[in-house]
Amino acid sequence: MDRVMVDFVKALRGNGVRIATSETLDAMHALDLVGYSNRARLKTALSATLAKSEEEKSRFDACFDQFFQFNDFEQFGQDQKPEPPPPSFLQQMLKGDNAANATAEAQSPLGQMLMQGDSQALSQAMAQAASEANVRDIRVITQKGLYGRRMMMAMGLEAMEQEMWAAEGSQEPQQQALGQQLREARERLREEVKHYVERQYLLQASGDSRALRESVMRETSLENLREFKDVQGLVRKLAKRLVATPSRRRKVYQRGKLDVRSTIRHNIPYSGVLLETHWKTKRVDKPKVTAICDVSGSVSQYSRFLLMFLYSLTEVISNVRAFAFSSDLMEVTEWFERENLDTAIDLTLNRLGGGSTDYGRSLQTFTDLCLNQVDHRTTVIMLGDARNNYGDPRTELLQAIHNRARQLIWLNPESRLRWGSGDSEMKRYKPHCTWAEPCQSLNQLERFISNLLRYSQ
Amino acid sequence: MNQSTGSSPISVDQIKSGFAQSGYICNDDIAMTMFLAYQLEKPVLVEGPPGVGKTELAKATAHYLNYELIRLQCYEGLDEAKALYEWKYGKQLLYTQVLKDKLGDLLKGAHGLAESIDRLHEFGDIFYSEQFLEPRPLLQALQAEQGTVLLIDEIDKADHEFESFLLEMLSDYQISVPEIGTIKAKRHPIVFLTSNNTRELSDALKRRCLHLFIPFPDAKLERNIIQTRVPGISEKLQDQLVGFVQEVRKLDLKKQPAISETIDWARTLLLLHAEALTPELVASTLNVLLKHEEDIGNVKDDMRTLFNKLFKQ
Repeated sequence: MDRVMVDFVKALRGNGVRIATSETLDAMHALDLVGYSNRARLKTALSATLAKSEEEKSRFDACFDQFFQFNDFEQFGQDQKPEPPPPSFLQQMLKGDNAANATAEAQSPLGQMLMQGDSQALSQAMAQAASEANVRDIRVITQKGLYGRRMMMAMGLEAMEQEMWAAEGSQEPQQQALGQQLREARERLREEVKHYVERQYLLQASGDSRALRESVMRETSLENLREFKDVQGLVRKLAKRLVATPSRRRKVYQRGKLDVRSTIRHNIPYSGVLLETHWKTKRVDKPKVTAICDVSGSVSQYSRFLLMFLYSLTEVISNVRAFAFSSDLMEVTEWFERENLDTAIDLTLNRLGGGSTDYGRSLQTFTDLCLNQVDHRTTVIMLGDARNNYGDPRTELLQAIHNRARQLIWLNPESRLRWGSGDSEMKRYKPHCTWAEPCQSLNQLERFISNLLRYSQ
Repeated sequence: MNQSTGSSPISVDQIKSGFAQSGYICNDDIAMTMFLAYQLEKPVLVEGPPGVGKTELAKATAHYLNYELIRLQCYEGLDEAKALYEWKYGKQLLYTQVLKDKLGDLLKGAHGLAESIDRLHEFGDIFYSEQFLEPRPLLQALQAEQGTVLLIDEIDKADHEFESFLLEMLSDYQISVPEIGTIKAKRHPIVFLTSNNTRELSDALKRRCLHLFIPFPDAKLERNIIQTRVPGISEKLQDQLVGFVQEVRKLDLKKQPAISETIDWARTLLLLHAEALTPELVASTLNVLLKHEEDIGNVKDDMRTLFNKLFKQ
């Protein structure tokens, strides 16, 4: 049964449950105590030892139901066998017929097994063949046929087919009937094997291929990313990981300077002998973020993902204000607070997107609107390609924002090489930013946000 | 197994009925996990929304096994001086003052510094011995002769460092104190860690524990709990009450009512000699069940639909 356990753990890992070797051992011990007799209890016991958070529990439940649906238990219990009705029917036919039929029995081991309709032996042979054919290594769904074929070969298909052809080719009617039966049995077996491989694929490989797709998505340029279906789920997942990073603390202890006042006060009981030291603590503020996003044609997709990220982070960022601009600027915070993310983004793009970009005018509007609300706790994020259609860049306005804010960060969807080329004003804006970064893929965006959270401590 | 007292739980069902006797009604999952924790001698990490009886589980276990319950409440800034041990500075200071005069006698006749120090050395580390050690919850649990239940409450409130500090304790039931050495548990305590999920715990900690998630109870379990905890309540009221709470949980609220709130509400209704739920009664006692003004407002608005649903069934 160890093998089953190891496979199960592998399937769980593929489905995103993190399991250490020591936990597998715990599960084995638990298995020894609980046994297989009670399915519900087995599930609880394995769940307690393997799945360690609410989210993992739900994944575990799904995986458990799928994995142990195969009749591994039936040899212990007396559940119904997944025996297809035809073989028993054929069997009856065989048995019910005259004695002469007895001679027309299949000779190959696989043929015998199939003709006897022994589903238990069959499922065991199937599991055996699966491990010989290494079905667990299946990676993509197109390999299904290959592995199915390999499994059938491992079960001894060749000998059976030889027999089948020989029987069909012979003159005796009994032999011909046998050949017919064998052919039918082979089709059934093929179906069974196909299902088995499919199930294995779902269990083992879907996790891997998902991981593969995610890593592709993370490197893809944000502009093309919309074509992926589950990108929003991925953004949420990344954001959640940023929130959960355990090293993030509200206060920093035992760093920096001795807190003299507190130390003296706490040592009064020891007649002023300084036995206990107290250190200055630093409160860690949640960063206040103001995002100013260019939503004109070329950049709107990037803005979309930045906003998506920021609004998935409400747990660790206290106050997000969002401004969108193209030819002019307006505040869109309210939409994002009221509507769901997709609607808000679409609203913004509809209202503002598409116009020709005017950075100077937009900065002026921002200054008029809320420069006085930017303070030393605010992080201002500018997202745009700084292509100003040869208008006045008004760098002095950006400088004013920089002076007031805690930091001013510019994210540019273009690579560094293109900064300053053509109508790009990036080279002139850059001196007034705390730092400027290219931001082209989810990976870069994630790294940026993680920095944002770290430096704001 | 080093635990083999008379009340040793052998099967899951025994644990379940044992807990029921101490007034803690639980489902199979909880009993199963407790069984494993006891048999495998592993700590249990209990998670779930506030008020579903995470702390109560530890208390019930202590009561059932007749073990002492040692509780360590975690908070931001908790360090080993408060969790493990501390030297009794005051006592050390006082003793040195009192013994000052004795010192003169002791050192009488010693020539030179080296000889005086040698004499002092003869007494060893008197001031850093067990008499001056103030054991805190973790050390208490390790030193206890009898079996103990150690409850480390709300571990998610403690710092990241403290979590790492616990790892040695959780995996080997031992702790290293620089001045004394490694202290091993005399008997392995049953350890509970509870978390409200305000932050993600580290994988290292999770790996060492069994994990138990306690969700809100289903209607049947909740009725059982109310029956045990609030014995005087009539069956009709109990059914209505549980049905109402179950419906309220389906609403979108800031804070869902937990079992503890249901119990409080049942007690309140019992005190008011209520026979059945009426909208007026619910409206006037809703603040026992819900703890946010906004939630109370929401439920009051939905009262009619809630009652319609409730009495249709």
